[in-house]
Amino acid sequence: MRFDTIIIGGGLAGLVAGIKLTSEGQKCAIISSGQSALHFFSGSFDLLGYNGTNEIDNPIEAIAGLDAKHPYAKLGASTVAALANEAKDFFASMGVRLNGDASANHYRISPTGELRKTWLTLDKHFACDSLESLSLGKTLILNIDGFLDFHPHFLSDGLKRQGVDCHVASVTIDELQRLRTSPTEMRSANIAKVLHKDDAIVRLTEKIAEKSQGFDTVILPSVFGIYDSLMENYLVERLKCNVKLVSTFPPSAPGIRLQMALKQRFQNLGGVYMLGDMVTNGHFEGNRLMDIHTANHKDIPFEADNFIIATGSFFSHGLQAHLNSICEPIFNLDVTASGERQQWFDQNVFETQPYMSFGVVTDSNLHPQIEGQSVENLYAVGSLLESANCLKEASGAGVSILTALKAANNILKR
Amino acid sequence: MLSKNNEYDVIIIGGGATGAGTARDCAMRGLKTLIVERLDFTAGATGRNHGLLHSGARYASTDKESAEECIKENMILRRIASHCVDETDGLFITLPEDDLNFQKSFVEACLQSGIKADIIDPKEALLLEPSVNPELIGAVRVPDGSIDPFRLTISNIVDAQRHGADVLTYHELTDFIFDGTSIVGVKLHDKAGNRTVEYRSKVTINAGGIWGYKIAKMAGATVNMMPSKGSLLIMGHRINNMVINRCRKPADADILVPGDTVCVIGTTSTKVPHEEVDLIRPTADEVDILLREGEKLAPALAYTRILRAYSGVRPLVASDDDPSGRSISRGIVCLDHETRDGISGFITITGGKLITYRLMAEWATDLACKKLGVNAKCQTADICLPGSEKHKDDNAPHTTAYKAAESRHGSLTNKITTGDNYSDSLICECEGVSVGEVNYAINELHVHNMINLRRRTRVGMGTCQGELCSCRAAGLLANSHGCSQRAKEDLASFLNERWKGIAPIAWGESLSEAQFTSWIYEGVCGLSLTNNEDIQ
Repeated sequence: MRFDTIIIGGGLAGLVAGIKLTSEGQKCAIISSGQSALHFFSGSFDLLGYNGTNEIDNPIEAIAGLDAKHPYAKLGASTVAALANEAKDFFASMGVRLNGDASANHYRISPTGELRKTWLTLDKHFACDSLESLSLGKTLILNIDGFLDFHPHFLSDGLKRQGVDCHVASVTIDELQRLRTSPTEMRSANIAKVLHKDDAIVRLTEKIAEKSQGFDTVILPSVFGIYDSLMENYLVERLKCNVKLVSTFPPSAPGIRLQMALKQRFQNLGGVYMLGDMVTNGHFEGNRLMDIHTANHKDIPFEADNFIIATGSFFSHGLQAHLNSICEPIFNLDVTASGERQQWFDQNVFETQPYMSFGVVTDSNLHPQIEGQSVENLYAVGSLLESANCLKEASGAGVSILTALKAANNILKR
Repeated sequence: MLSKNNEYDVIIIGGGATGAGTARDCAMRGLKTLIVERLDFTAGATGRNHGLLHSGARYASTDKESAEECIKENMILRRIASHCVDETDGLFITLPEDDLNFQKSFVEACLQSGIKADIIDPKEALLLEPSVNPELIGAVRVPDGSIDPFRLTISNIVDAQRHGADVLTYHELTDFIFDGTSIVGVKLHDKAGNRTVEYRSKVTINAGGIWGYKIAKMAGATVNMMPSKGSLLIMGHRINNMVINRCRKPADADILVPGDTVCVIGTTSTKVPHEEVDLIRPTADEVDILLREGEKLAPALAYTRILRAYSGVRPLVASDDDPSGRSISRGIVCLDHETRDGISGFITITGGKLITYRLMAEWATDLACKKLGVNAKCQTADICLPGSEKHKDDNAPHTTAYKAAESRHGSLTNKITTGDNYSDSLICECEGVSVGEVNYAINELHVHNMINLRRRTRVGMGTCQGELCSCRAAGLLANSHGCSQRAKEDLASFLNERWKGIAPIAWGESLSEAQFTSWIYEGVCGLSLTNNEDIQ
């Protein structure tokens, strides 16, 4: 089978690259094992939120201070700025409304009530530019009865610290009560599915309206829809007060929705999305990757002019740790990983963990290397890349989206 | 409610199995009893061993006295602590690299100590325990088993309280109160209240495990203890159903014990200085040895995910007539400091093993009773621990969570609220822990933080190591404290404590899961460790 570009990895980075390429007329395939960081989406895309423990107000300006191996440093500040704008347009063209700006971070609120610097936040989700601008008025945090993956008391505690007049309550409807009879069913994706059925959302909205009478703002867990955002729109239309959604513990309903929307978009553009398959190895000639093989299509090679590897970090198995070594398991690409096993970690889980910055080495055009030689038609993108500590920096989504766009642009330029 | 005038017949220092057992025994004999623990129950060696219900076979060749104590207590615990015991039986296997002649003398020694030991055909051993190394050339079946030290200790505490004992956790001994050469009480630092409190007693029992060395020193006595560090690994699922031992002289990593949903391989043995007993953690070398040797017992270990690594410190005691420390017994040491050191009102109970905790408690209580002039018979070998009484509840729900809870709490499961959607919803899906069970533990089992909760209920002990359940549990703790800030700090400490056990084995799937956990709690939630003090 032959394609213009084959993308290994169907998470945020792989899909963004795939959509960009297919929308420009390329014939693309995405091979996905099914893992995606969007399943634990916070409701916001981070670009660059922190330098150590210091908050970053302007991510573009802060790029100058990054290590030379950092993906943003390789792209350069002006390219990052341009790509960031392109990214916003990219999602807008898909009908995904995001608020925010690359030169001015805003705050999101975490499921445990912490205010965190971020870049783009989903429409209707909690966001504020500064602590001073937090004008919520009398606020009600409303949970769904018995939903344990949303913590109104943690949220309320966080907001009260910012001086917000906060109250906590819960609502339910019969269908959601029935969900509770099986003890493992009360999870965000299941709640969303129940709400998609019949007029469930109508009745729940009535209950919410009742409870939120007299409040200026109502904060709800973000469980309103995994197929589309119609329910969110309905809520906002019907409720008289301000509606703010806050992400829950995984799985993230808006994350699943986004993953599905991206995949659908890619397929609508003619892309081939192969779910549940795994690339096993590649065949190289000189500095070029000629074709790859997958677990499901053993003898049939997949050929392409260009390849993108977007397999993620350890949790999605883009990187693998063995007893005494770290590797990229498909092509054995060069990785940065320092020292013996004991040196990969800090004993305090909240300190900087060296292993988080391990990743695939690339040149400035995002070409990874094998034994020091760049592979000229292969691009590495996303959290697979070296040097970015996405967790400490709050840069995960930004690195994924921008490097994916960059790789796609490079391929299209050729 | 603590005693009004802070006066007791006996104060026990140390909330491990021995301390808890002694509190139970003292209280059952009618003594007015207080037990104090500087951290949480089972925070020391009690919670950091194999959880092996020794048959004694391991000691039969070298230490007949210990072996006899083991088998006797083994049989008693099966009766009185049935809800903590898994009667798995054990195998002592001989591998091609071992000397098969050892087997003969081993079996003889077992029989002489009263331990049933049947030589079985290696093929039969493989049928009984399919995970065992198929290359084995010999096998002996013995009455080993596994025991849950957390449940065992808490059950003793619950019963001590039922008999009127008072209980203080997170209270650390800072000094003794003397009257001349007599110890008449203790000064404690109450960690939560950050204040000093005093309690008086006629007899004080030092049941501090390895920390008993310092406690004795504080009292002015020297007990010649050798801290011996042992490291172990918890594997991600229950590979074996029988305990598997190597039939040779005791060495590193030669026991694999099944327990609940997991199994534990151990242990190593290294002497450590007293100053380091609070700082020990498994090293990379120890992990490597445990895996290398463990695979020889059960080859499946090579491709089983490791959940975590941990270390404990054995309180080995050199006999008083051998100050060189060479002659170390695993036997029980009960010291009357009045006759030994001229300090009256003070007893040290140490040495021994988890499985002989009850006998240690009996000896210590016998001595305390003698000092107090109390003539009461020990009944702890005859009366079942709370949870182990015969029970049959026809109305018990048939949910998996209830069954899981019953395996943890035995007859006490009826104290867990069930039957409504809220109480039945699951906090921890790996271990089947419900909201009802968590609330029971919070209300009745001295739970102040997430780590306490884990020890009482197994929340966060399963395959996911607290990935998702810890935040749910923290939510319930926040409700019960009425303080979500404290619960959040507690959650951060809990995750840090989980990480300490994961870091030594963080490769493969363990690292993938650890990264996922960090992404959720530090990334999505923005949690950080504000209070850097270790909570145990």
